[in-house]
Amino acid sequence: MNKLLLFGSSVALLHPLALAQNPEETGNRNADIYKSVVRIESATQVADYRTPWNSGRFGGGTGSGFMIGPNQFLTNAHVVSNANRVLITRRDSAKKHAARVVHIAHDCDLALLEVEDDAPFEGLHYLNFGDVPALESQVRVIGYPVGGDRISVTRGVVSRIDFRPYAHSRVDSHLVVQIDAAINPGNSGGPVLQDSKVVGVAFQGLRQADNTGYMIPTPVIQRFLRDIGDGRYDKYVDLGITEFALFNPAMRKALQVPENGLGVMVASVLPTGPCDGVMEPGDVLLSIDNNPVDNAGNIEVEGEKVVLHEVVERKFAGDEVKLEFLRRGEKKDVTVTLKAFPHSRIYAVRYGDRPRFVFFAGLVFQPLDFNLYSAYGFDSPRVRKIFQNYVRDAIFKEREDVVVLTRVESDRLTSFITGFNGTVVDEINGTRVKDLRHAHELLYAADQPEFITIKCNGVARPIVIPSTEVESANKRIMQQNGIFRSHYLGDSQPPS
Amino acid sequence: MFPPRPLFFCLSLLLVVGGLPAPAHAAVKAKGLLRINTTTQTYNVAQPWELNQPQRRRGLGAILEDGNILTTGEMAANSTYIEFESADGAHTVPAEVIAIDYEANLALLAPEKGANREWIDKLGTLGINGPAKIDDKVNIWQLEDNGDAIRTEGTVRSVDLLSTFASGHYFLCYEVKASMQSASSSYTLPVTRDGRLLGILASYNSKDQISDVVAPDILKRFLEDIRDGRHEGFPSLGIATVLTEDPQFRKWLGLGDEQGGLYVSRVLPESGADESGLKKGDVLLTVNGHAIDRRGYYEDPTYGRLVWSHLVRGSGQVGDKLALLIMRDGKEQQLEAVLQRPPDHLIPSHMYDKAPPYLIKGGLVFQELNRPYLEAFGKEWRSRAPLDLLDALNNPEDYEEGRKRLVFLSRVIRTPATIGYDQVNNLIVTEANGQKVTDMKSLAAALTNPKNGLHSIRIDDIPYVIYLDPEASDLVDKALLKRGLPALQRLP
Repeated sequence: MNKLLLFGSSVALLHPLALAQNPEETGNRNADIYKSVVRIESATQVADYRTPWNSGRFGGGTGSGFMIGPNQFLTNAHVVSNANRVLITRRDSAKKHAARVVHIAHDCDLALLEVEDDAPFEGLHYLNFGDVPALESQVRVIGYPVGGDRISVTRGVVSRIDFRPYAHSRVDSHLVVQIDAAINPGNSGGPVLQDSKVVGVAFQGLRQADNTGYMIPTPVIQRFLRDIGDGRYDKYVDLGITEFALFNPAMRKALQVPENGLGVMVASVLPTGPCDGVMEPGDVLLSIDNNPVDNAGNIEVEGEKVVLHEVVERKFAGDEVKLEFLRRGEKKDVTVTLKAFPHSRIYAVRYGDRPRFVFFAGLVFQPLDFNLYSAYGFDSPRVRKIFQNYVRDAIFKEREDVVVLTRVESDRLTSFITGFNGTVVDEINGTRVKDLRHAHELLYAADQPEFITIKCNGVARPIVIPSTEVESANKRIMQQNGIFRSHYLGDSQPPS
Repeated sequence: MFPPRPLFFCLSLLLVVGGLPAPAHAAVKAKGLLRINTTTQTYNVAQPWELNQPQRRRGLGAILEDGNILTTGEMAANSTYIEFESADGAHTVPAEVIAIDYEANLALLAPEKGANREWIDKLGTLGINGPAKIDDKVNIWQLEDNGDAIRTEGTVRSVDLLSTFASGHYFLCYEVKASMQSASSSYTLPVTRDGRLLGILASYNSKDQISDVVAPDILKRFLEDIRDGRHEGFPSLGIATVLTEDPQFRKWLGLGDEQGGLYVSRVLPESGADESGLKKGDVLLTVNGHAIDRRGYYEDPTYGRLVWSHLVRGSGQVGDKLALLIMRDGKEQQLEAVLQRPPDHLIPSHMYDKAPPYLIKGGLVFQELNRPYLEAFGKEWRSRAPLDLLDALNNPEDYEEGRKRLVFLSRVIRTPATIGYDQVNNLIVTEANGQKVTDMKSLAAALTNPKNGLHSIRIDDIPYVIYLDPEASDLVDKALLKRGLPALQRLP
């Protein structure tokens, strides 16, 4: 999150190993643990993508968090997402302490906070981390869920350890531990303990089932803490391939896989991803970092079958991964350098972003992403197809933003511009639109032709706006409709 | 043709046979009416080698002066058996279809050759009347179970171009306001005025009490067309147009304030318009001297304001010439188009009386995409149907190159040859064994020629290529035939 770096992260972050050298080893008593579990209150502002010029909805909520080091509070990303103000309250005091988000990781739903003045928190016990708890072992969840003001403790049993989706971003899946203690709103961000050690962060539940809660286990937490160790959260990395299970005998023969041979077919390689130019569709991935890959794309880790992407899960941008694959019967060994793949975030829920838009003569243009998609529910198959194939077909190479004409405001200039809402803008004055900034440049260029033409994908005729009308129309429509700014193009950094 | 008006949704007149008791009407003598009973069967879209359960419907036909019987196309479409029945049920005779037009929703039937039609000839005949004017009183005819005729009086409320059966085809219809009750034989009904046939009622909306009646002009053109024993169908120009109401758009096009005109947004290749030299971006100003306004209406001498496409579809025959005045680059230009049948569509809009082509190889089921396949995804098919196939339906021009039909892998039957492909479905096929797939025939030809001992089929999504072992798939095919599959392929 580039934006959060603006707050400055001068705090020297401890390596998780350093946390083990906690001076207060004696403080394992429950009272000390409870003291270190704090209540977090956040005041939020959620952008409205349908009226991107407006401030959005103000609201708030509470969650839990806990101290893991000097002035370091761990919680869920969703507890402090879209927050304008964060307050932390100790168990034994009513005082609310102003806090700020130091690091936030939406892809694994974790955040690290600090208070402005850490004096009141001095001497509190820093909670230590344990391992992934065993199946059937007992854990306790501590936090400030709904139903009362005081601290709450529930006990449960570890009922499943699995690779599951994280609801916060909608698109990321990581290791998850399911417990049979209910996790309720407000529990989020609180620690799950076993033998006085943190084995997870409570983070989500199931709507259709009672007594199932999910926690983020320590491997995911440790990865987050290591990632931010250099003062920056670099996000998860991706191998950038899609596999297809290699069960069909004819397919195996075509790809020259020996009988009973291991390996999964590479069905597609993400353009510009780490494997682009290295692997190609039809390659058979045999092993990853020396872990043999089976025909369904699984590897074995500590006796458990897990998807091969688990190997990449534990790695960071810049790390290498060894791949062994078969191409037309020939074995190849390569080492690829992993990197984050920002374009696939088009499918993730965005938080804390101010919606970008351009207003022009009654027309509103916005870049397509998940937030926009869910706000408008586009039903045109064309828009749906472009959205779906944005990454697969490398549409981002040609158009970093898919610019959508989202609204046509009522005005005498626009009264016959119908059937254009929710269509993708292909060209403005004959130039293909690369991104929203480009659209803005084209629409507001200094020397315009007599008629500004806007060509939308799949619409039979162009939109035509006489350039002499633009200024007066902008003024008139913006005033009538309470649109007080003509555009927001975002920070100058590339989208993340 | 894509007339610039919204689709008009009507309830088909499918009333429960023997439903509500009809109110006491004075029994009226019906002339030139008989019952038509049809059994229809459609193909199963998921398993195109099979027919669905047969359905029966009853309707009425009008006996024309030449002794043939006119009814709606919907009544006769997909029929496996048709019979005529006298009002009292005393006589029946098997019938055959002389001609059927799905677009205009008309069918001409006759008793089977050699069958006894004496009783029909005693029923009298109906000459065709028309045209009607707005506010004209008309009679809609129904038959009760006891053989009595029911006559419902209605009023012509408006004249418009409507699509009453095959979607996307708009023809001249009268909208008649009448309060009808349910009675048997209600699927399609003759409408008369002054004792002569005015039109055929194609649908009835009981909520608004509005019926759509195919106009006599269309009836006459249909009968004229088939007079030579050959049914050519209604002509088309082959363009899609956009209204020019938007003043900014008009300025850009160089249209004056007093001018009308339609913006030509698409010219179908090999259509009459294409051959006349009409191009996308032209503005159509007049057709056969009739000025087209900015909403696409012209002043019809009989009916007043009508959508321009009536000048093509409802006024001419295939082979007729059409004078077009257009504006191109700000200059007016005269073109002459010869009316033709619409060119063959990449994705057929209907499959009435057509067996859908398919091909099965080792358990992979291939079909040619048509609109009914997508409509089978239910009421919400426009959002539920597979995205890539929907996109092809909406933007056929993006898929037309090198294709006659869009072949797709519709589903995978689980067989020993298709292990691992279970989840693959509804993907567009581009190549088979290195050959471009342009239609089902080309796929069938390509699959006779495996390369390097394997069949390979290229599709447009993961896994992108599907391989089949020729021997294993031949064995599977044999087994499928043994287990009741009638044939491995049906080529068009």
